[in-house]
Amino acid sequence: MMMGDQFRKVEQYSPKSSPRGARSPVVSRQDSSGTLKTTILLGKNPSIVPSGPFYLMKEPPVDSELTGATNLMAYYGLEHSYSKFSGKKLKEQLSSFLPTLPGVIDAPGQQDNSSLRSVIEKPPIVGKELLPLTSVQLDGFRLHPGPLPEQYRYANQAPIKKHKNKHKKHKHKEGGLPNQETPVTEIGQDTHEKKHKKQKRHDEDKERRKKKKEKKRKKQKHSPEHSGGLTPSQHSNT
Amino acid sequence: MASSLENLETQLEMFIENVRQIHIIVSDFQPQSQNVLNQKLQSLVHGLQEVDKLKSQVQDVHVPLEVFDYIDQGRNPQLYTKDCIEKALAKNEQVKGKIDAYRKFKANMLLELSRVFPAELNKYRAIRGDE
Repeated sequence: MMMGDQFRKVEQYSPKSSPRGARSPVVSRQDSSGTLKTTILLGKNPSIVPSGPFYLMKEPPVDSELTGATNLMAYYGLEHSYSKFSGKKLKEQLSSFLPTLPGVIDAPGQQDNSSLRSVIEKPPIVGKELLPLTSVQLDGFRLHPGPLPEQYRYANQAPIKKHKNKHKKHKHKEGGLPNQETPVTEIGQDTHEKKHKKQKRHDEDKERRKKKKEKKRKKQKHSPEHSGGLTPSQHSNT
Repeated sequence: MASSLENLETQLEMFIENVRQIHIIVSDFQPQSQNVLNQKLQSLVHGLQEVDKLKSQVQDVHVPLEVFDYIDQGRNPQLYTKDCIEKALAKNEQVKGKIDAYRKFKANMLLELSRVFPAELNKYRAIRGDE
């Protein structure tokens, strides 16, 4: 008996059994248009007469001056930036954006804990006044003569890269940074002298390269493996 | 604004250059370089002071956090600008397409409705006030 009652109750409230489907006829639904006004006439001939302006007519949205139909790039004067970045192929590396920065900067920042994210996540201690070091504090920086231990010399890889970008740097800045190979005493000397030195070095490099080429040619002629083909380096040189 | 950013850039460049020179000095340290090193250390503190002074001038500069990700990955931050511009342009074109399509739809709809329900549409137009 109990079981039968339960089932009957479930069936009673089941939306499937409702003649109006899943919706309860009691729940009043809001008029989304805001204009649905009707007059219901009862009597011998009951009828529903719409008394509002128009069924389903909504107030049109207020026209905004700026929509997606406008060329927003032109509106905000960004066409210059667009043509600047869309036309040419940008170099991927960070070092091409900051060519004057010494050291290896193209490696991921997380590798050497130099990421900018870490500055946000673990902000440094700020608010303390920055004061020049006293003579006692400077004593802490008294160093032993001699080269750095091997593990701290990783940054020395940078000058090789810098050397490659030398010409580029001159375009950006007039007074180029002193080369890492420069001795300590030369730091801060006139740039004019450096230019001459660099030119000399450049000429010397050219001569060295020529000699190397000649040597290679001779070697290839004499070697039994010589097949007459060019090596990849020769390809790039020729 | 531009000048304050340029000032900051110059200060940072000078600071980096100073650090680089300290690196050269300490990488093969000579006893006679101690004084130079001390001077460089003092100028390091001075450089930090100068950068600290400039912070008030760049308070209103907002940098998107995503740019930091590009830099942290060793990528050119201008690529972020490029990606943003391309995305914005694509979205702008999409939205314009949608708006144009809806405009055409509205025009066609009105045309067809005026053919089938001319009286109602006249009423509608009168209410709307766009006759």
